[in-house]
Amino acid sequence: MERFIQKLTQYPKLILLITVLITVAFFQTMKSNARMETNLDEYMPDEHPAFVYSDEAESWFNIKDGIIIAIENPDGIYNTETLQKIKDLTKRLQKFEEIEKVDVTSLYTADNIVGTEDGMDVKAFFKRVPSSEEKLQDLREKVKGNDMVYGKLVSTNETVSVIVARIGDDVFSQEFYQELLDLAHEFGESGKENVYIAGRPIVEGTMAVLGPADMKRMVPIVFLIIIIVLYALLRNFKSTFLILSVVSFSSIWAFGLMAAMGIPIYAVSTMIPVMLIAIGVAYGIHLYSHLHMFQLENPGTDRRTAVENMIKEMWNPVLMAAITTAVGFISLLTSQVYPIKYFGAFSAFGVLVAFALSILVIPAGILLFGLPKVKQKSGGKDQGSKVEDFAHRSADFFIRNKKQTYMATAVVILLSIIGISRVWIDSSFLEKFEKDSDIVLTDKFINQNFGGTSTLNVVLEGDQPDKFKEPDALRALVKMQDDVENSLAIVGGSFSMADFLKRMNKVMNADDEAFNIIPDDQELIAQYLLLYEMSGDPENLWQVVTDDFRKVNLTFQLKSDNSKALNSAIDIVEEYRDDFSALGIEVNYAGSGYKALVFTDLILEGQVSSLLMSLVIVIILLGVIFKNYKLGFIGAIPIVTTTFISFGVMGLLNIPLSSTTALISSIAIGIGIDYAVHFIDRYRIYAVETQDRKLAIRQTMFHSGRAIVFNAIVVIAGFMVLLASVFPPNRILGGLISLNMLTSFIGTLTVMAIALYYSKIFITKGEEK
Amino acid sequence: MKTKTSLMIIIGIFLIGSMSLTAQTEISATEIMQKVSDRPDGDEMEGTLTMTLINSRGGERVREIRQYIKDFGTVEKKIMFFLKPADIKNTSFMNWSYDDANKNDDQWIYLPALKKVKRISSDSSGDYFMGSDFTYDDLGDRKVGDDTHTLLRTETIEGLECYVVESVTKDEDYMYSKTITWVVKDRWYGLKKEFYDEDEDFLKSLTLLNVEQINGFWIITGTEMKNEQKDHMTRMEFNGVKVDAGISDSKFSERMMKRGL
Repeated sequence: MERFIQKLTQYPKLILLITVLITVAFFQTMKSNARMETNLDEYMPDEHPAFVYSDEAESWFNIKDGIIIAIENPDGIYNTETLQKIKDLTKRLQKFEEIEKVDVTSLYTADNIVGTEDGMDVKAFFKRVPSSEEKLQDLREKVKGNDMVYGKLVSTNETVSVIVARIGDDVFSQEFYQELLDLAHEFGESGKENVYIAGRPIVEGTMAVLGPADMKRMVPIVFLIIIIVLYALLRNFKSTFLILSVVSFSSIWAFGLMAAMGIPIYAVSTMIPVMLIAIGVAYGIHLYSHLHMFQLENPGTDRRTAVENMIKEMWNPVLMAAITTAVGFISLLTSQVYPIKYFGAFSAFGVLVAFALSILVIPAGILLFGLPKVKQKSGGKDQGSKVEDFAHRSADFFIRNKKQTYMATAVVILLSIIGISRVWIDSSFLEKFEKDSDIVLTDKFINQNFGGTSTLNVVLEGDQPDKFKEPDALRALVKMQDDVENSLAIVGGSFSMADFLKRMNKVMNADDEAFNIIPDDQELIAQYLLLYEMSGDPENLWQVVTDDFRKVNLTFQLKSDNSKALNSAIDIVEEYRDDFSALGIEVNYAGSGYKALVFTDLILEGQVSSLLMSLVIVIILLGVIFKNYKLGFIGAIPIVTTTFISFGVMGLLNIPLSSTTALISSIAIGIGIDYAVHFIDRYRIYAVETQDRKLAIRQTMFHSGRAIVFNAIVVIAGFMVLLASVFPPNRILGGLISLNMLTSFIGTLTVMAIALYYSKIFITKGEEK
Repeated sequence: MKTKTSLMIIIGIFLIGSMSLTAQTEISATEIMQKVSDRPDGDEMEGTLTMTLINSRGGERVREIRQYIKDFGTVEKKIMFFLKPADIKNTSFMNWSYDDANKNDDQWIYLPALKKVKRISSDSSGDYFMGSDFTYDDLGDRKVGDDTHTLLRTETIEGLECYVVESVTKDEDYMYSKTITWVVKDRWYGLKKEFYDEDEDFLKSLTLLNVEQINGFWIITGTEMKNEQKDHMTRMEFNGVKVDAGISDSKFSERMMKRGL
């Protein structure tokens, strides 16, 4: 392998040419084939039973996510202009190609079931917009008298009315999102009315726009900072340029390959370059660091000798670092979630590319463009020896303070465990936004006036058709529905087939409130249902019950989409599981909120298991590479401490686990291994050579330690930039990556170094000199 | 130049040809629709209607209804008794439909479980009939003068020569922007019909399944309406149809609704 690399580097121009050509080819593929996947449903594993069920239920009841458009008039909505706007906006929404006509609900489309002296009426609230004061008041009374609309489509203070447009999973696009925002803007511009737009599709849409847009803005700055810091540390433009080319190329190759294979870019895929920057920079820094040492020791060396020595000494640790890192990423293939599998596979590919390019392009570059200049040691204290002194002194310090270091580590780990116990999972989308952002404020506004912007669907499935014509089954449904709605403040409303029946029973009995209950007689229920079908729009009925009356869909409106809210409602529903079971009814859940909840659990389950698995693999790999199992455990120290601290800090700072924050732990593995491999390998060389562990640890601290610190500084400086991001998840990302880099490097240079020193591995002679 | 001239001649011949065809048939689209409207089908009809509702997943719901219709001149009265399914047996429904366009239909329903006859009123004839894909309007007669009719072409379907007539509504608020009807020549019933919604999107298609000659009248005894937008279908089949066999006037009363069959 080494000879192969050495041979290849005899053709530096060819290497550069081929690399550039391949990069250009991948870049072209990426440009022409890459597509962003913003539909979050595409992330979910289709085969998972919870998703299969939810998808089926969604088709039974036409369950879709609602876009909520609220029209507010501080003077009240009962005037011709505002009602006209409600009608026009309803019609405009119905005209959208992405929206089915029947899926738009507003005061204009809603049915009003009313009792008359000798019967029942199902009528629209209005067809032509009422203009006379009398008719406006009449409409107002009608709305007030209908629980199915009052507080649901019109706020109880009568200043806001909502239009709900439900859309399928597969129709959402950036253009559609923009058109909706434009529409809301257009209607809000004239007149007294304010128009707000909210709902899960809008939240998802905003997130899909805001996150990447913010990244697009921030990444160049991150890159710039990395360039500046790298340049400041290396003091050489060519070296900086080569290292960053390698890092950028590896990202392009990874994305190019993805595009070539027709795999779309998912939100988590944007983490790939993040990983590659953090990890790839390290390879170049280690190479240059070695070159620097070699030049210090061999003043006036020529390019070829220096490069040959660099490859000879460094190819092995860099390769080992790359392989172990790649294996860590490959362990993500066990995840059930495809975007995460792809993330793992292509990060692994990118890491190996970064290795190959580092070991080929950097030598080729040096051969062509010359060695970096090195200030030679002169008698006085120059910078190089100052650094060396400092490295030696820190090595001595840690070794002397073994107990204290161990103690400090133990304390930190203990604190982290406390933190970890507080970590909570969140599948919320809304909580990813700033508290004072438009989207959060709109959501809050609608939640104040109506039941809630988020929904949870409970699907009850009977063991035979017509189950939900049985009074017992319906009463059990009402009991559970009322319990959830009354016990939880976060549940602002609910809607089920029972609401239809109660209203009809009341209306058919002269609007007597005493009849606002489920009738006792199954035949009467059946006849009411027929009556509704005959006089109303049965489409509304089929959203709450299947036409064989075997399954019903109960919708809860929640004022928050976070996991705690959903789980609190689910907990109460679960208390009724046995009661339903006794009636031959099964309880299940559906809807996008529920799916997001299950999905987040799945991601975390996968993350934890792949984290543990990669840890085991890394320990074994390190043990095999260094032919000593103890070194496997010592080498795992930075990974373990970094992971603990990372999750611990999240717990302590109340940062919830989500799909992206969970992935950040992968970086702990990638970086932790790198540091450990380089440090141990260097120590091995010095220890075997000198048989003096003190000297060896001092030298290693200078050689590898310097490179590790450089790497950490560069990446931390770069990612700290994200703390200025406007999108909170990106801020968290920047902060956590910086934290992981910091703890990895501290863990390596302190605890691991001490453990290595006291293990006395590589020291074969009985006692030290 | 030469080819262009000959092309013009050919087109010219075609135009003359088709014009002469129109001239030969000497019937306008409006006349065709008038003939459809005027087709005699008796004043009284009774029979058993099997209504099958088929949802997008292929699930079927079947209702069996005994139906009596009688034309009283200015009003057409219809009474229906549900036979199946069991839980709505003896539920009955009565509809009086007036020739006067300004007068809404009168409708009553008798729910045996409630033991009461209730009047129901609904907004318009655009409502769907019993959750089927037919609106009340689809089941009744639409006045020929409400639409502007155009004869598009003639077509032969299953050996029957048909006029293809497009009818565009004059009323902007009407639920169908236009319909296209395939009218069988000389028999004056529609073989199929396509409905386009307010936004001129294809909405529904009606297909004739069965037509029988009873008492000398062409009586449609089987139709299928498919809502293409909802992927929902309704099949209506009449059995034991009797035309002008004598139905007492008193059949159409609240008392009869309660009494049942």
